[in-house]
Amino acid sequence: MPISGRKVPPSAIEKESATVASSISGREVDLPAMWNRMFEPRVLSEHTPDGFARLQEMPGTESLEWCYGCGKCVPVCPVDVVGEYGPRKVHRKVQTGIDLLSDPDLWLCTTCGNCLRVCPKEVDMIQIMPAAREKAMTDGAAVPSELQDVFEKTFRYGNALGENPRKRAMWTRDAGVPVKVLPKDPTPVDVLFYVEDYWSYHPRGQQAARAFARVATALGVDFGILGHEEKTLGDSQRLAGEKGLFDSLIEDVTATLAKYEFTRIVTPDPHGFNALVKEYPKRGHTFDVLHYTQLLAPMVDRITWQKELPYQVTFHDPCYLGRHNGEYDAPRTLINAIPGIELREMARCRANGYCCGGGGGGMWLDGFTRDYTTERLSERRVREAVETGADMLVVCCPYEVSRFEDAAKSTGNGHLKIRDIIELVDEAMGNDPAGS
Amino acid sequence: MGSETVAVIGGGPGGLRAAHGIVDVGSKVVLIEKREFLGGTPIAENYAGLTPHGEAAEPQMQRMAELVTSNPNADVRLGTEVVSCEGEPGAYLLTLTGADGTETIEVGAIVLATGFKHFDPGRETQMYGYYEFPDVIALPDLEAMLKEHSVVRPSNGEAPKSLCFIQCVGSRDRQIGNEYCSKVCCGVASKEAIEVRELLPDCKVYIFYIDMRMYGYWESEIYWPAQEKHHVQYVKGMVTEVLPKGDKLIIRGEDTTMGRPMEIPMDMVVLSVGMEPSVGTREMARVLGVKQNRYGFIDAVAGPLDPVSTDREGIYACGAALGPADLEDTVSSASNAALRAVAFVRSRAAAATA
Repeated sequence: MPISGRKVPPSAIEKESATVASSISGREVDLPAMWNRMFEPRVLSEHTPDGFARLQEMPGTESLEWCYGCGKCVPVCPVDVVGEYGPRKVHRKVQTGIDLLSDPDLWLCTTCGNCLRVCPKEVDMIQIMPAAREKAMTDGAAVPSELQDVFEKTFRYGNALGENPRKRAMWTRDAGVPVKVLPKDPTPVDVLFYVEDYWSYHPRGQQAARAFARVATALGVDFGILGHEEKTLGDSQRLAGEKGLFDSLIEDVTATLAKYEFTRIVTPDPHGFNALVKEYPKRGHTFDVLHYTQLLAPMVDRITWQKELPYQVTFHDPCYLGRHNGEYDAPRTLINAIPGIELREMARCRANGYCCGGGGGGMWLDGFTRDYTTERLSERRVREAVETGADMLVVCCPYEVSRFEDAAKSTGNGHLKIRDIIELVDEAMGNDPAGS
Repeated sequence: MGSETVAVIGGGPGGLRAAHGIVDVGSKVVLIEKREFLGGTPIAENYAGLTPHGEAAEPQMQRMAELVTSNPNADVRLGTEVVSCEGEPGAYLLTLTGADGTETIEVGAIVLATGFKHFDPGRETQMYGYYEFPDVIALPDLEAMLKEHSVVRPSNGEAPKSLCFIQCVGSRDRQIGNEYCSKVCCGVASKEAIEVRELLPDCKVYIFYIDMRMYGYWESEIYWPAQEKHHVQYVKGMVTEVLPKGDKLIIRGEDTTMGRPMEIPMDMVVLSVGMEPSVGTREMARVLGVKQNRYGFIDAVAGPLDPVSTDREGIYACGAALGPADLEDTVSSASNAALRAVAFVRSRAAAATA
């Protein structure tokens, strides 16, 4: 498989076909599409870079104009691999007068951060896109309906899935170990386990949450959860443009956290982790925060392994744990500690990890994105995983299990199993995944 | 026999720096300038600000000139040309003609600082229409407007609402014969673009380029501020023709970054013309009998570690007489040439008295 994907030809210029009458014979001749460019009228465009000035009303967007067109961002952009979107092209489009706020490009960026990693001029799409999306919303531009739906659910229920907040701790029932729910037992804990939406509600996420509860209990971790009082940290909603929603969530979350005594927060969700590490301190709330792999990695020597797992696995770096927050080793320490497992890295890994498509609101834009890409990012990533020869794709972000399971099926790679690291640790410790 | 005096031919930035360097170390200099004034091209071509920082050209050049004219060891000859060169290294006999008639002087060494001239846009092979459309101008034309703090469309006297620079006019072109990069035009165009944006904040300014050659600190001192602070729009892709449309100009080219044709109306087009050997450089090469390279600049025969020696002993060249050079290059090589010339005449004198 070539390292880059199939490109969609530029749609604005070419027609399906054209018929031209010969001036000599009078016969009509069919021409293939590529020739039709010659018959398209050339539009005289009043080039105007005013778009930069309009965008710059929103703090954070200034750097878009800094692009000097080197093109380093485009080959590492995960969306470009499956489509025509690319950060440099966004600059050029705005320069030629295209309004980003009403352009589909506005919603295609997953804020994975790989362009910023390579950008010599620090054009920061992680700032630009959320600010531009926020402006589009305040200007009344159309938000893709599926995303709008998630914003509304988050606002109403405190979770992106629109689930009943009272059922947030339901997953603990079948964990096989008792899980302290702080609203019922508000005694101090060492670890406040911030479960986040997908481990709370998604069936596959719940399995991982139970595995975590068993592993943490076996290792003597003193932890508790917020139960029905937990709301999403909303980082992806923020990056999708709903800063207002994120800000109101911060108020709710910090008010809830203030009620309980804990020394640190542990979360399985790199997106929530990112919010707590980077956004909360900006607003005066500083916590000691760990991703769950960072909590467990230093403890691997204390784990009593009961089983060898004869799996050949490959690991997908979550953008918001790896590239955004620099943690590449903790997940690998856990994977490599599990007896019997062989880890095969994909070509794109660690700092150059390929995005699953779920970040920056992409989790809730698959329907919208479909019209502008040849395949989902998760499908592309599954193909890369299969290329390693691994029979299992291992993840540690709650978005990814469902995304990759869907992608494995849709790409005809049903043999590729998708597991969270915690599920493997749990299994190798001899626990029964059924939780009985 | 021999002379410890050094002749410097050319009174621009290079010649003034060389002459000042020579008198500064206690030697004598004869500075020969064809024009009636010192300061060279920055003055003759009405430069507004010097690249890269944009200091006003006139007082800067005046200060340089005074360092020479105020020194008793400097003999400045304005309106004077060198018509012949006889003698030998250490004792060259230069025949000068000027308002006061003809005179032959003896000098020990010569520094050539005869500089460049701007490429004539009438010779370019595109269709930019410099002599056809009043609103198509060149870098020095805009420089002169900036000096007067009045940038207007020559066709109607109104301030332009859109203005673009087209890079590499007369440079990097086999058909024209100038295969070299003129080195300064990217920086000069960007500097002028900043000045236009400061003077006319409502004017949109574009620079169309093949590749921006903003070497060294010019990248961070001119290019990045132009783009990030002054909102100059850089577009990779050359304009290949300029057409009239109503009272505007249409520029046509390829948007290479998007693979599309590009047609944009403009009020003014500025051609970023490059450097060619000045008439003086060509003429002095002939009179002094020093080797020129294929482009007509003086050939620095000794290679990169000795960039000022010509093929004739005791004759050195500096600045844009050697090829495209910015001001920093020019004064650096002028100091180099001055030192070499002084060392040459003194070593001759020491050998003669020993």
